[in-house]
Amino acid sequence: MLDYVLRRLVYTLITVFAVASILFVLFRMLPGEPTLQVISPAMDPAVQERMKEAFGLNQPVGLQYLIYLKNLVTLEWGRSFVSAQEVTDILSYRFWNTILLMAAGMCLTLVLGIGMGIIMAWKRNSPVDVGGTIVGLVFQAAPPFITGLLLLMVLSYRLGLFPTGGMYPPGARPDGLLDLLLMPEFWHRIVLPTLTVGMYYISTPMLIMRDSMLEVLGSDFIELARAKGLKPRVVMFRHAARNALLGVVTIAGIMVGFAVGGQVVVESLFSWPGMGQLMVESAASHDYPVAQGTFLMLAILVISLNFLTDILYSYLDPRIKITAKGMN
Amino acid sequence: MVSSHLKRRLKYLRLALVEHYRIINANPLSRFGFWVIVVFTLVALFAPLIAPYDPWEMVYDSEGNFAALQPPSWEFPMGTTHLGYDLFSQLVLATRTTLLIGATSGLISIIIGANIGLIAGYYGGKLDEVLMRLTDILYGMPFLPFIIVLIALFGRKLEFVILAIVLIIWRTSARVIRAQTISIKQRQFIAMAKARGASDFRIIYKHILPNVLPLLLLYAAFNIAWSIITEASASFLGFGDGETISWGGMLYELWLSGKTRVAWWWFASPSVCIILLVTSLVFVSRAYEEVANPRLRKR
Repeated sequence: MLDYVLRRLVYTLITVFAVASILFVLFRMLPGEPTLQVISPAMDPAVQERMKEAFGLNQPVGLQYLIYLKNLVTLEWGRSFVSAQEVTDILSYRFWNTILLMAAGMCLTLVLGIGMGIIMAWKRNSPVDVGGTIVGLVFQAAPPFITGLLLLMVLSYRLGLFPTGGMYPPGARPDGLLDLLLMPEFWHRIVLPTLTVGMYYISTPMLIMRDSMLEVLGSDFIELARAKGLKPRVVMFRHAARNALLGVVTIAGIMVGFAVGGQVVVESLFSWPGMGQLMVESAASHDYPVAQGTFLMLAILVISLNFLTDILYSYLDPRIKITAKGMN
Repeated sequence: MVSSHLKRRLKYLRLALVEHYRIINANPLSRFGFWVIVVFTLVALFAPLIAPYDPWEMVYDSEGNFAALQPPSWEFPMGTTHLGYDLFSQLVLATRTTLLIGATSGLISIIIGANIGLIAGYYGGKLDEVLMRLTDILYGMPFLPFIIVLIALFGRKLEFVILAIVLIIWRTSARVIRAQTISIKQRQFIAMAKARGASDFRIIYKHILPNVLPLLLLYAAFNIAWSIITEASASFLGFGDGETISWGGMLYELWLSGKTRVAWWWFASPSVCIILLVTSLVFVSRAYEEVANPRLRKR
């Protein structure tokens, strides 16, 4: 087990390193001055020279790359062109806002999706099953900016039930995470973005849970449980659902990885001050140090989630380690 | 000799088409999806003939008044924008952009993904290791942020949107097709082909490829659907092509105009089109899923 975890950890680190390198190459290919990556063209020329010196931008490319990697590790990610704040400071604040919204969305998706999947498999081929499948597929086909806009237009503009965006009312800046979580306004504002995320991703766990439930229901131990005279409810939840969950776990990690990308749309739509919104703002205003840092942080988030899923899956299904070894 | 060969080819092609039609026709949802795709394709092909106005042309109603922010009417069946652009024309012309991007990136990505999957799965060993690590790295790339960065760096051009989508999207098809290839290459007919001295190239493309075809078509449909959603999302965030009208771009203009509170018609038509087209692709792909995964058919 430990061997497997270590092996995956090494691969994970290699992936982070590779993504960082791709980012270096991309920003180096920038049309015009490559120094744009860290130095704002609006600065005083003398200052620009000194910055070039400090960031080693007058060095050959190979050395620049090494300096870039060193700066990444020592968390010197540069300063924003717009606000002159340290990129790492901005990110450390934005990071938790993204995590909060993602966690809320994923909890809703997984709990509802898995529950619906079990019911659909139970009432197979009934209107619940067919209807659920169609609704799930349509939700999946509706990109989050459409469902989000629709929710905004109906529940917020028309009915006035929810605020149109933000994480807390203007002027009521909370100090710290705990203070934020204790604000009723925060919970009021998180509803619409959570619903948007939840609706988009619900079909995945729902349909996979349904399919793997049907598969498990065909196996011998379910027959046995039924033959023992257990109640259908007990057979469904205690025996079948537990085994069918494995399929959902595998896909959940990948799904959460995708959700990091979807976060960009939802945060922009609901002015949620997370990393997704920061990504769009910084890219639109050509604030390269922030754009680069945010992208890297989002990538690290995706990569860590993939790693955690691998580990969780190998823990739940010990067979996977053997095949994984055979594969590598 | 040549003509009989050609005839046989054509016969196979006809049989294949009949077979595909049978697969799609077997299920009411995929039949619905198929016809929706056909209609959208026709609209895209004849878009300039159907659209009464240019996408960014200010229109006037029959009494000569400037027609800004008009709800749907006989004159403007889908209403107009706050700058007096005809939404029906925009929608029709945007169909072309969306289908172009969807089809191009969907097809290129399935070709890359299928080849990488086939080669990695067939040869195994070091080559497989390298290709699969490459795929892992791509799985570490957040999709939409990658497109945003690429467009921000290189400009709001259609080519870059397609390039960015293709660079990432092949990863899923490569993984799935590799797994299928590994299971197929262990079957007896592959060993027999090898014993007959068939080249690797022939085995991969003549013997394995036809067996992964249903899976390949399934992922081709997925890739097209994902490309369409991704392009629309990028356009909605302002990272689409600035000079071509697209469904996502129409919603971006709505969002920028701040007329979301009033102009429900401006929201409705591009949204319905995106959802309808993507759902149709998913419905059709589910028909292929039943072929690719026969276990599903029993249910």
